[in-house]
Amino acid sequence: MSFDPSREDYQRLALRFVSQLDGTDPLRAAREFATFGRRFAQDRDSLPQTDEDRAFHLVSLAATIIDYDLPFSRGGTSQDLLKRARSLLNEAISLDPRCYDAIRMLRAADIPSFDLYYKFLEEAADEVGAHCREQRDLMLATHEGDRAVLASKIAMHPYLRWLGMQASKAVICGRNRQAIGVCDRLLELDPDDTADARFTAAIAYAKLEDEDGLDALARRTRRLSIERARGPEDAWMQIARMSLLFKQYRMAEARRQLETLCNTYPYAAATIFLQHELPDGVFYRLAVPPYSEDELIVACSEATVLFQEGRARFGHGSLGTWLAERAKELAPKEDIDALVAREDSELNGDSGEGR
Amino acid sequence: MGLSQSAYAELLLAVRKNPEEFIDNREDATFLALGRLLDKFAEDREGDDLLEDDEFATARAKRMGKLSIACEKITKACPTCVDARVVQIIASDKDPDVELGLLLDLRDELAGGPWTSDTTGTGDAWNDVFARPWLRLLSRIQFAALDSGRYRMCDEAGENALSLSPADGVGARRACALSRARLEDEEGLNRLEARFSHRGDSWFALSRVILLYKLGRMTAARRALRGMCSLCDGGAYALLRPILIDTYMPDRPQYAPYSFEEATLAVHEADPIILDVPDFALWAERQEDIASAGKSFAEEHGLDW
Repeated sequence: MSFDPSREDYQRLALRFVSQLDGTDPLRAAREFATFGRRFAQDRDSLPQTDEDRAFHLVSLAATIIDYDLPFSRGGTSQDLLKRARSLLNEAISLDPRCYDAIRMLRAADIPSFDLYYKFLEEAADEVGAHCREQRDLMLATHEGDRAVLASKIAMHPYLRWLGMQASKAVICGRNRQAIGVCDRLLELDPDDTADARFTAAIAYAKLEDEDGLDALARRTRRLSIERARGPEDAWMQIARMSLLFKQYRMAEARRQLETLCNTYPYAAATIFLQHELPDGVFYRLAVPPYSEDELIVACSEATVLFQEGRARFGHGSLGTWLAERAKELAPKEDIDALVAREDSELNGDSGEGR
Repeated sequence: MGLSQSAYAELLLAVRKNPEEFIDNREDATFLALGRLLDKFAEDREGDDLLEDDEFATARAKRMGKLSIACEKITKACPTCVDARVVQIIASDKDPDVELGLLLDLRDELAGGPWTSDTTGTGDAWNDVFARPWLRLLSRIQFAALDSGRYRMCDEAGENALSLSPADGVGARRACALSRARLEDEEGLNRLEARFSHRGDSWFALSRVILLYKLGRMTAARRALRGMCSLCDGGAYALLRPILIDTYMPDRPQYAPYSFEEATLAVHEADPIILDVPDFALWAERQEDIASAGKSFAEEHGLDW
């Protein structure tokens, strides 16, 4: 699921617009709302919005630049993009000093060490939580019915994202129990797990070689989305299971789990063979469609902490090396050849289009 | 045995002086041959410090190859010499993953057979000289598991060794300590320490710091770090400037507890675990007095900083 900053921006303004129509007759209200889409896209300033809304809009622009545009840019363009993103975030904070998304995104650029960034997130978490709860209560008081539900959910999003980031940074820092603790908090706050805390938790359980914990997590979160409940387990859970089998030296079973993974995701074998490490999302984990190629790519990137373990000689880690070898056996030759060719051309600067 | 103490002492000297005279079976001959190969190997290593990186790599590959071939001959002649089979696996210099597979196969082959438990009736298999190769195999499995990211397996092999030799003749508790730190198992580490009456060493000291850091208990971690650096001679230096240590052949060298050499081994063995905590070394270097302690030690001992 994750968070889609543009969609959230739209929803915030839509909610505000619609509540402003309360009291008008339904026909008129419907006509007014019909103009919303166009005005949102082309004449945003004409819409009712608070400074907080404006700030979030800037955040959503910065998020798109940093998480979706920057990874595919090069050289001078990258520098320009970074500059623009930074100025958007600074402006967001000047409009809304409690714009916690902007605050943590700026700090991410300024704090180079994983450890210190984690500390920053941990120390401010309660403050963020208190503020968001206040906003949530305000939304519950101001709106009614479905609108109240949606508005109050959105009010909590910055806190959910804050905790979600804290959990994923914890894993990167090697603090797996802490990560699981934060994920548990997230699941309690939001049983729908909008933040996809269960993905981070799966990796943490695999790091701790905690099979019981992983199974309990699977049972707890299986029915979160209808699509996933009926389908195969998500990539994070499958990778976690595969890691556990590998660590237990149950190699035939690990291989079977890999085959399942390859049957779940398109171009899976090729993705696993390459084991690209993507830059982590700064706004949040990239929102991608369930069971898409991109989803596996994101999961594999996060699973680097599992793939790179051990004292391997050629820089791939034990599991990583084993996976690359098995994946090569499983992947159709054309897929690997095509991917390698694309890699080469990107490296030589032939294509700036990314994926 | 029926000998007086002085007679026994004389016998021991005689055996040491001329072992061949006392060997009357193939196993003992094999063991002696292996011992000599390992002595030669250790000797060959002594010039390593003076070599350039590529010279070192070549020299190392050469002597590992020679040892591997020699062991193959030995094990052909005497398949029951477990130590020779283990040394041959180590000398074949495979990735930890592959090495582990070979060691596990060997373990499965020998499990339940003779010399896999204590026959002395003392309750400690290390007292049984013929059970030691089995214990050394378990210890080697620990290292291969640790180096291939299999921490529970490392711990379990260690527990296995400890149940056979409660006095831990083979030093299995050390890799167990590192594994438990990695798995963030505080209770497990506490139990292990208590079991050995809190007789610490560099491994326990280092494991404690890593564990507390991973659990996010930074004040306690800082204290433990200071503790480790004051207990281990040159502990700060060993931690912040890890020394390249070559493959144990065949097992961990012995050093005095908390000596600088011991500390360097603990840091070396913990390397895959420390890599897993990417900012650990940076954090350690940032703590008050730690960097300066490392630097002083370097200056005192003519080491690079």
